[in-house]
Amino acid sequence: MASADKLINTDVPEKDVFALHFLQSLSNLKTQNPLNSPAKSIDRVRKIKKAAYVSMARAAGGTSRLWSRALLRRAAKDDNKSVRFSRRKRKVTWKISSKRRKSNNQRAPVVEEAAERLRNLVPGGGGMETSKLMEETAHYIKCLSMQVKVMQCLVDGLSQK
Amino acid sequence: MSSSRRSRQASTSSRISDDQITDLISKLRQSIPEIRQNRRSNTVSASKVLQETCNYIRNLNKEADDLSDRLTQLLESIDPNSPQAAVIRSLING
Repeated sequence: MASADKLINTDVPEKDVFALHFLQSLSNLKTQNPLNSPAKSIDRVRKIKKAAYVSMARAAGGTSRLWSRALLRRAAKDDNKSVRFSRRKRKVTWKISSKRRKSNNQRAPVVEEAAERLRNLVPGGGGMETSKLMEETAHYIKCLSMQVKVMQCLVDGLSQK
Repeated sequence: MSSSRRSRQASTSSRISDDQITDLISKLRQSIPEIRQNRRSNTVSASKVLQETCNYIRNLNKEADDLSDRLTQLLESIDPNSPQAAVIRSLING
């Protein structure tokens, strides 16, 4: 097996990459519509939350990760836009049907149960084999915690009197 | 046709070695604060790690929700002449 000794890389970019993308997203939001409209505050919160997740996916590498790709695709579907994916030299992983995925997995059922719950939490997890799922999850939680740190810093900075 | 493509791919590229699984599990363990603190036993089971991961993700999502909420309020209530607004402006435009 060619990939036998390859160590799987789950490094994420530095915090300022996430911060930059997020601020960019926020500024786009502000120029699109002044913050006073849409009228409902829950819509405003939703927009900011969406900006956070989308900017996180972009900072994390855009379409080079399965989870970020799935996240961006979902967001674009909301906006009725289409996401353009660059042609990759490596073949794109096709969504694996759950029946085939189950036959490919020879791990203990209790592990598979927990993996199933994880699949619902990680974007794009539904089509991943367990081993791929764990790799994507490790990367995803690192990026998520980065993003949360960035937002916390912003909130702290804005809350100072 | 697509099913034969899938089976060919499944048999070559998505089989990763046990070493890599162990490596991934330990990476996951290191990323999750609760498990990291439990240094006593080295035999944290894989399913426990996955369980803790689920909880961790849920917590992060909740934090992101709360922070989005607070951020929205703060951004709206910013007095345009305050120093905070100037900081934001310079960060966004700079």
